[in-house]
Parts: sequence; C-alpha cells; structure tokens
Amino acid sequence: MEYKLQTKDKTIAVDLALDPENRMTATLEKIGHDPIKYDPILYGRVSDHQVQLVVNGQQINAWIENQPDGKTILLNGEHFFIQDTDKLAQTQPRKKGPGQGTQEVTPPMPAVVIHVPVQPGDVVNKGEVVVVVSAMKMETSLTAPHGGTITRVGVAEGDKVMPGDILVDIEKTDTSET
Amino acid sequence: MFNKILIANRGEIAVRVIQTCRDMGIKTVAVYSDVDGKALHVLEADEAVCIGPSDPAQSYLNMDKIIRAARDTQAQAIHPGYGFLSENPEFVEKCDQAGIVFIGPTARAIREMGDKITSRRIMVDAGVPVTPGLNFSSHSLEELLDKADEVGYPVLIKATAGGGGKGIRIVHAREQLAQACESAAREAKNAFGNGAVYLEKYFIRARHIEFQVLADTFGKTIHLLERECSIQRRHQKIIEETPSPAMTQPLREEMGKAAVAAARAAGYVNAGTVEFLLDDQNHFYFLEMNTRLQVEHPITEMTTGIDLVRQQIEIAAGAPLTLDQADITARGHSIECRIYAEDPENDFFPSPGKITFFKEPTGPGIRNDAGVYSGCTVPMEYDPILSKLVVHAETRDQAIAKMIKALTAYQILGIRTPIDFLADVLASVPFGKGDVFTNFIETHFSNWKPAQKNLDLACLAFIVDELSQKGKNTPARDENRPDLGLFQTLGNWKL
Repeated sequence: MEYKLQTKDKTIAVDLALDPENRMTATLEKIGHDPIKYDPILYGRVSDHQVQLVVNGQQINAWIENQPDGKTILLNGEHFFIQDTDKLAQTQPRKKGPGQGTQEVTPPMPAVVIHVPVQPGDVVNKGEVVVVVSAMKMETSLTAPHGGTITRVGVAEGDKVMPGDILVDIEKTDTSET
Repeated sequence: MFNKILIANRGEIAVRVIQTCRDMGIKTVAVYSDVDGKALHVLEADEAVCIGPSDPAQSYLNMDKIIRAARDTQAQAIHPGYGFLSENPEFVEKCDQAGIVFIGPTARAIREMGDKITSRRIMVDAGVPVTPGLNFSSHSLEELLDKADEVGYPVLIKATAGGGGKGIRIVHAREQLAQACESAAREAKNAFGNGAVYLEKYFIRARHIEFQVLADTFGKTIHLLERECSIQRRHQKIIEETPSPAMTQPLREEMGKAAVAAARAAGYVNAGTVEFLLDDQNHFYFLEMNTRLQVEHPITEMTTGIDLVRQQIEIAAGAPLTLDQADITARGHSIECRIYAEDPENDFFPSPGKITFFKEPTGPGIRNDAGVYSGCTVPMEYDPILSKLVVHAETRDQAIAKMIKALTAYQILGIRTPIDFLADVLASVPFGKGDVFTNFIETHFSNWKPAQKNLDLACLAFIVDELSQKGKNTPARDENRPDLGLFQTLGNWKL
C-alpha cells in the first residue's frame, strides 16, 4: 500500500504493509534521503482527535484535525500540515449536495473544462455562456442561471469536473430578474 | 468587603479575576459584546450583561454602558483588567461619580503616569534615574537634533501618548532623525490623537525589568520583586520570567527601593508596575509606570505565593496591606509564555476561528490562565491572546524544562498558535544562558521555520488517522464475518 504525502516543502513516499491486529510496517522515503524502515508499528485510535502509535517500543500520541485539503497534526510539540498528493490531484471546485444544482453553474456529467470566457468582476445576463465543457467528445456550454456579477471562477481550462461541482459563482444584482 | 464586582473586560483576564472573586465569595458580573455571548468569561460569571456590538468603542470601551450595567446589577466595584478602560482616568472619574469603586489607582495617578513626559518629570524630582533624553516633548526638530547629539546615537523617538509598540522609531544616525520624527508623530496622531514626541537614548543591549508594587490607602507601599520581560516581538512581550537572570541581590534592593519611591512619587494606590531599563553596565533607568494589573502578573504570584487580584480587591475595599516588605520573599523560578492565536510561519498573522480541540497541560507547577475552551470561536475583533502558560520550579533550568514539556503537552486544533515557536525559543542556547535582551527575537529568531524533526512520525500518524476513521468510507465490520480482516473492510486506498 502506498501513500505520497507532502508538506509545504517536502515530499515523503510511504510504503506500507498492514498486518492484522492494528500492526503495520512502513518504509518512508524523502527526496534526497535514504529510505527508513519502521517495523513494527502498533497503532490505535484514542478519540476523535487523538491517535496513538508505538514505534520502536515508544508510545507516541498525535492530535489530528481533518481539513478538506489535508490534516493538521500535533506531535511532540511540533505542528504539521500534511497533504495526500494523490487526493490533491483530484481536488474539485466547491461542492454542493445533489438537488441543489438547478440554480448553479455545474456540468450535467463528468467533463473537462475547455474554455472559461468570464472572469471575476464581469457582469453577465441570464443565459450567457460562462463555462464550456467537453464530455464524451461533445461540447456543452454552461450558462448563467440568473444575471449578475461573477464573484468567483473556480476552474481553469483542462480541469476535470463532476456534476455537483460549482464552477462559477454569480452574485445576483438587484435589478436583474431570475 | 464587596459582595458583587463587575469585571469590565473579557478573555483570560476576566476569567482570572472571576476566579479570585469566587475564592472570596464575591458575586461576579460579566459584560460582553455580541460576538462574546458564549465566551468563557461570560459562562463563568454569576451574572452577565450584553453591552453592545463587537466594536470595542460600542461595548468594552463604552464607559456609560458599563457603569449602567454595574448599577443595574448593583455591583459595588468594577475591576478593569488590563487594556480597555484600565488606564482611562475619565472612566475612574465616572465610577467615582456613580459611587462605584474602581479597583485600581486614582484618576490623577493614571493621568500623570500615562503621560510619558509628566511621569519622567515626577521621577526626576523624586530622585529616580531616568533614561537620558529630552525631558519634555517637542515639535522642534532643532531641539531634537541637539538633544540627540548630546545623548548620542542610537536614539529612540517615542510618542508622548504612545503605548503597545506604536509611535516608536529607532534612529541610528543624524540624517534619519527628521524622517523618523515625522513618521512617529503621524502614527501617534492616528492612534492616540496626539502627535507629540520625545527622545531617549536607545540601548541596543538592554534588559526590560519591571517591579510589581502594591500600595494601600494608608500610605504603605511595598514592592513584590522583579519580572524580566526582555523577550519581545515588535515591542510586545511574549515570554516573561522571575527572578531575572541579570539580577543580583544588591541591584534588586536598589531597584526595588527606586520602584517604591516611584510609586510614592506618583501618589499610587493599589497594584501597579514600575518598568526599568537595565543597560549592559548594570545602570537602571525608569522607563514608565503601568497603572494597572499586568498581563504577566502570574509569575510573581507563583514565586511569592501572593494572590495579586485578591490584594487589589482588599485594598480597594479599604483594607490595610497586611504584608510588609520584609515578608516578601520569592522561592524558585517562574516563566510565562503568552499563547496568541497567531501563525508563526506567516509572520505571526492573526489566526482567529473555531477551536475544535483544546487540551491544556497540567501537573505540579503548571498553571494555564485561559480564556478559551474546546469548541469556542476566537473572534477576530480583539487581542488574540488565548492563554498564559505559567510554570514554577525550583531552578531556572528546571523551569525551562517544565515549560518546554508543558508546551509540548498543550494541544490546540482549529487555529494556529506559536506553541512550537515558543518551545524552540525556550530550548535555545542563548535563552538557556539567560542572555535575554530586548533584541533577542530579532537576533536569534528572525527567520524561524519549524524544524519538523518528527516528520516521519507525523506521516505515520496521518496514515493511522486515515486507516482508523470511524465509519467514514469504511463499511461497518460485519460481526457475523470475523474472517473479514482489516484489508477487506478498508476503503479509499490504492494498492
């Protein structure tokens, strides 16, 4: 099992073998350094925010907070923000639950963005094209569900997008009708 | 003795005052702004009054609203904490007029000590040494240039009405003086409405040493020894300790006498602090007097065993000081670290937000004066101090080790704090040697980056957290299929 993890300035490749009863062995490799093996590692969850590992007979507590794009980890008085490189590569723009997409700019199927003709600050009318996506070799134009001002463009050409992703935010102006 | 006190403040100091009131059986009234409805000081008080919107001018700085709250709840006295109205002479006068006891000094003492020029003059008259410089504020560049030549560069240009690090400029050469004066005056005018500046000799390697004083209404004034406050960032204290590594018993006695003389010259009553600068020749100079309880007062409490808030309340209630100077002795060593909601990796930018997890260090000799709790939201409208972590041990080395362990055991999630930065400062060689001067942080820690010594373990912890997510993306273990191991019940990973 592999993980590719990163901090602000380091990448760490982790190669794991899981054993039964909450044990594992792991080899960690940082770029430019020799790999280090940890064997065995015992582990368990203490509470929602605390896990414990036993490495080389030493018990280590870590306090963790999950964030959308990574985890904050407090360990031995140090503060880390670690991200899963693979998960990051798939990062989507803002998501909304199903059934809320009718007034939002969202693709009808998994697609790739091929053109974004607007930018924040632009004023658009209802029906104007704000994002062009391509899916199954077909181009689809996504239009503004109401008139207003573009406040956020969450995608760029080449991004993979899914139904439910909000690609562009449009703030309704008082004078425009839905 | 009062039976009810209103605390005109918020956060950790309000909580701390409430604690002593509780010890004394005195009922407490908290005041709060719209964003502080669930703040710890509100939850802990016997009564709470909402006094307005988050903007301090409309709530914590609003004298009339606070006095009205005291009247409505029949509070007999007001404790102002530090900051906000604690050094506002007009507020003291309004309390006097309303028949409410202000727990602190008189309006006159606050006024006179609050003006840097007046306080310097009072000290000179009382024979207390002051930093060489201009003894009056000036707008004349000529006067300032002449004095600077006399005193010798580098010099400090300071706003007469300044505070909190504002309106201060260091000038290294004659050519820079004009520009520094203009910019300090402008900053002071904007922040305090008064652009007058004065000039002082700037000591590059100086220690900031202050003495706690207590004075009753019967003319007895004593000091409770010193605090060393040299570790500062942008003129704000972050680490304080007592006793000072630079102090000798003779120097302590001399400075203590000067502190008492200063307090007497100011006609001081209640708790206050006299701040001195100690140069590298062991000459000391009066810097200013703080006419309130200081943030770092807990370290004095730890070594002397005296509850300063209790003393404040008793003095304000008209009781004579039961302590004599000979009774004041200190035992062991105490250190305090201020824990702010700031990001040490991002130039200490404020980091407000919701605290999702909060676990304080505990144990012998550990005290944490906190104004927050797990699940509370740190608002961005106020000073971002979360807590003061204080330790006490028999020796300085033991206190340093205890503080590092305490910082390591202090877990705050949801916002960023400088806990890791502070641990590095405490563990550093110069701090260990007691080589603490006001330029310590600039000299040793200006480009601090976390060492990340435990990165490997943190990565393993990351993975353990992923593997043991409760119910998240992980189908529940089937009790009827014990043969299904961890492998089969995991989701969201790749082989």
